[in-house]
Amino acid sequence: MDTRLINHLNWSLLACMLLLYLIGVGNLYSASGTRLETGLSFSDFYQRQIIWGMCGLLCMLLAMSFDYRRLRNLAWPLFFASLVLLLLVPVMGKSVYGAKRWLSLGFMSIQPSETAKLAVLLLAARLLARDQRPLGWKDFFAVLAVGLAPCAFIIMQPDLGTTIMLLLILGGMILYRGLHGHVLKICLLTVPCAAAFMWIAGLRDYQRQRILTFLDPGNDPRGAGYHILQSRIAIGSGELWGKGFKEGTQSQLRFLPERHSDFAMAVFGEEWGFVGCVALITLFCFFLLSIFSTVIQAKDRFGSLLAVGIFFYFFWQIFINIGMVIGLMPVVGIPLPFISYGGSATLLNFTLLGIVLNVSMRRFMFKG
Amino acid sequence: MKPSNANLKENTPPKGLRSWLKIYVETERYQSPRFGVILLQGLVGLLFFVFVTRLWYLQVHQGAEFARQAQENRLRYERIFAPRGRILDEKGRVLADNRIAYGLSLVREDCRDIPATLTQISAFSRLPLPQIWDKYQQDRFRIKPFEPILMITDITFDQVARIASDIPTWPGLELVVRSKRSYPEKDLFAHVLGYVAEVNEKEMAEDDALAMGDLAGKQGLELELEKQLRGRKGLYVVEVDAHARVLNKTLSQEPQSGRELRLSLNSSLQKAAWDALDGEAGCVIVMEPDTGKLRALVTSPAYDNNLFAAGISKRDWEGLRTSNRFPLQNRVIQSVYPPGSVWKLVMASLFLERGISPRDTVFCPGEVKLGNQIFRCWKRGGHGNVNMENAIVHSCDVYFYLMAERMGIDRIEEFAKASGFGRPTGIDLPHEKSGLVPSRGWKRRRFGRGWAGGETYNVSIGQGYTLVTPLQMAVFVSALLNGGHLLKPQLLDDAPRESTGRVPAKGETLNFVVSAMRKAAAGGTAHIVARKDADMGGKTGTAQVVKLKMGAGDRRLRASEMEYAQRDHAWIATWGTKNGKTYVVVVMVEHGGGGSSVAGPVAAKIYDHLFGPGAQTEVVSAQPRGERMN
Repeated sequence: MDTRLINHLNWSLLACMLLLYLIGVGNLYSASGTRLETGLSFSDFYQRQIIWGMCGLLCMLLAMSFDYRRLRNLAWPLFFASLVLLLLVPVMGKSVYGAKRWLSLGFMSIQPSETAKLAVLLLAARLLARDQRPLGWKDFFAVLAVGLAPCAFIIMQPDLGTTIMLLLILGGMILYRGLHGHVLKICLLTVPCAAAFMWIAGLRDYQRQRILTFLDPGNDPRGAGYHILQSRIAIGSGELWGKGFKEGTQSQLRFLPERHSDFAMAVFGEEWGFVGCVALITLFCFFLLSIFSTVIQAKDRFGSLLAVGIFFYFFWQIFINIGMVIGLMPVVGIPLPFISYGGSATLLNFTLLGIVLNVSMRRFMFKG
Repeated sequence: MKPSNANLKENTPPKGLRSWLKIYVETERYQSPRFGVILLQGLVGLLFFVFVTRLWYLQVHQGAEFARQAQENRLRYERIFAPRGRILDEKGRVLADNRIAYGLSLVREDCRDIPATLTQISAFSRLPLPQIWDKYQQDRFRIKPFEPILMITDITFDQVARIASDIPTWPGLELVVRSKRSYPEKDLFAHVLGYVAEVNEKEMAEDDALAMGDLAGKQGLELELEKQLRGRKGLYVVEVDAHARVLNKTLSQEPQSGRELRLSLNSSLQKAAWDALDGEAGCVIVMEPDTGKLRALVTSPAYDNNLFAAGISKRDWEGLRTSNRFPLQNRVIQSVYPPGSVWKLVMASLFLERGISPRDTVFCPGEVKLGNQIFRCWKRGGHGNVNMENAIVHSCDVYFYLMAERMGIDRIEEFAKASGFGRPTGIDLPHEKSGLVPSRGWKRRRFGRGWAGGETYNVSIGQGYTLVTPLQMAVFVSALLNGGHLLKPQLLDDAPRESTGRVPAKGETLNFVVSAMRKAAAGGTAHIVARKDADMGGKTGTAQVVKLKMGAGDRRLRASEMEYAQRDHAWIATWGTKNGKTYVVVVMVEHGGGGSSVAGPVAAKIYDHLFGPGAQTEVVSAQPRGERMN
């Protein structure tokens, strides 16, 4: 083993992610608590999250074990495989809460939209890495088409969160890569129109309702606005120093919905207060900046763009999830990396960070 | 393309893996786009700035408010009702009691089907459904989530048994035990005690301690002494989760029962007075002149205050409100009457204080002329020469006309006001009237005209504009006996003696008037109250309601010959002392007719009760038939 691999490892990224993971497990432990007449009782979410984290670390090591440049070869096969899986979902998918998102493999269920994220990320990195000039129309549409194909399936499931995530990651990568002046201008004009079109044609009633409720949560305090109000109360009632670990009333008395998953941040905010929240956000910023350092240190376009894609993958999740919890964003089902409970999300997070670490540790390996 | 990885140096891998193992090496040197670098850093900076600002706003700036909302989420308050203080009479007999009443309450949030539940409540209670809906619609917005709405307040015992067996199938409904007020003496003490009823919006707004469904005093002592009677509610703090499951319940405030009040009133005396009035519209006051304590305070007709405590029906209420006998009126303090000749006691005191000698006489020919008006004495033919004592004993009007003329209205006004008239006595009962002491200023304000001499004549015999409450008269008579102290009439047994002023008269003046009253009882107009076994005094009055009605032959009509509403008010103000105990008894019978013939016997019966029966002097008819004494 080349010791340079170890020397060039992005240690600060590794440290940030492990710290976030531990904070996430600790917070999940508290969020699992439910106060009953007899006292506090804990469900096993945090234990499961520990197991998923271990699996995630293995995936991460696996993702670090080979030269990341080989992933370029995987981009197209993985992309097509994802499309096939997505096609299968409406045919033989499992219906949960009125949405078909899962494929049952017998021993486990997978969500093809997760693999689609990885595939789109790889393929977009490959396409965008072809050269270094700002994107013209041809390249722009090529990349866009790559993104929109799986999106078309995913929005049908329906899964608004993932669709938006995919588009945002893609948009971030394209913006990072740079567009020709006129392409940029026309995009700036058409995107609002596309958004308006989406609003009318692409959204289901409940999705539209969510956005409207976000704009005015007091309108329906016991119905759709309930999540937003209770989340704000949880966060706000933490005040400066928080109520203390395992002391959150909003979460333990179950006023806070989805406290393990999408609203885990509200539990954290209630128990650790402003000080804890600022510390956590600072940690997230360090985490993003660590990915960013790999972006600029990478020695080839593909590696750098992979890191950019992963940067956006995390950035948007953090931005949308925390934004939603603190009432700046509508309620969309997007979890907070490492803090929210979720098996496949944890695996994907660790895998993607393994790729970033891979890029960072192999940045010296160059054809001299 | 040169392999740069160790793996590639190994020998030819299996075919399928070949493409996967191939490493594409970019030939150009890579440089991050400048805009892209700025974009990523900028986004991280933006994320930090936006989130920290928002969190500061939520957690620090608005934190206290959200903390309050979080508390409100998890804590509910349950009231524990404090028993209201009982009210007893002087001897400890219960006048206002608490009894257990069952109610049916509804918790909206626990209720699966509101319309069906309301229909069921209607079936339980046999009340019409629209009425149940009205109650529900009215209260639902006034209460907090999870607070019960008291739908039915008083369920009979056999209904309770039926409802209790059915109630488990109706989530949200609950039988609650509440305390209700009951008044065993009903009409007898209705005006003194008043009643309680459910609080209204206004009362709740004025008093933080009151909440919906609470009972509060609305009339009488229940209203006046509400704060003492009420006690203090206890409070449970209940912690609940989002599904309203109760996690724990802590007593944060012990309930404190209200104060038990012992009145100075004696219920058997009250009953005797009530019976003596025998259904006439009027009132009786029995007061101790040295302490101001009231021993009986009767007004008739009255109403059953239990009706109000149970929630009066519209029909009953309309019946009471529109009755032409005004049962809701507490005649002791809320009605004002011309005092008639009883007023002469006030006038005589004034005359003595203003230098008129008891020996000064006036010739009474039966009438005097002022301008072209004729003012008559009640006695046709007149009293002849009368001095002050005789004028009081025989109630000679002409004496007072002429003496009052010498005094003038201003002095009369000043003295009457100083003697407690024209202002409330301060008794612990609501809505007390002041009465009226007329004056030049008042006349001008009221009618825009100056004072006329004849009006002084009228005032001198307690007619004209003069209006007093029976209680004011009792306080004044007490003052004659106690050295001039105007005492606040007390209803509570342990109340201290409270003076609200002093009659501006010397002791000898008071003594003179008292002894004149004694003579009037011994052989004058108030003879009806005379007793062998006690020292008695009195003064009657017959107050005209309308201008003198003359019958055929210039004769004043008898009460029985007149319309009820036009008949005179009958007054008698008396005192009696036996074994060192002195009482003042004032009786007023509305439209009763003559003071001595109608009010007098009532007073005599009360003294029978106070001093024991059978000691009255034989009734000498001091009054020629066909004539009515004044």
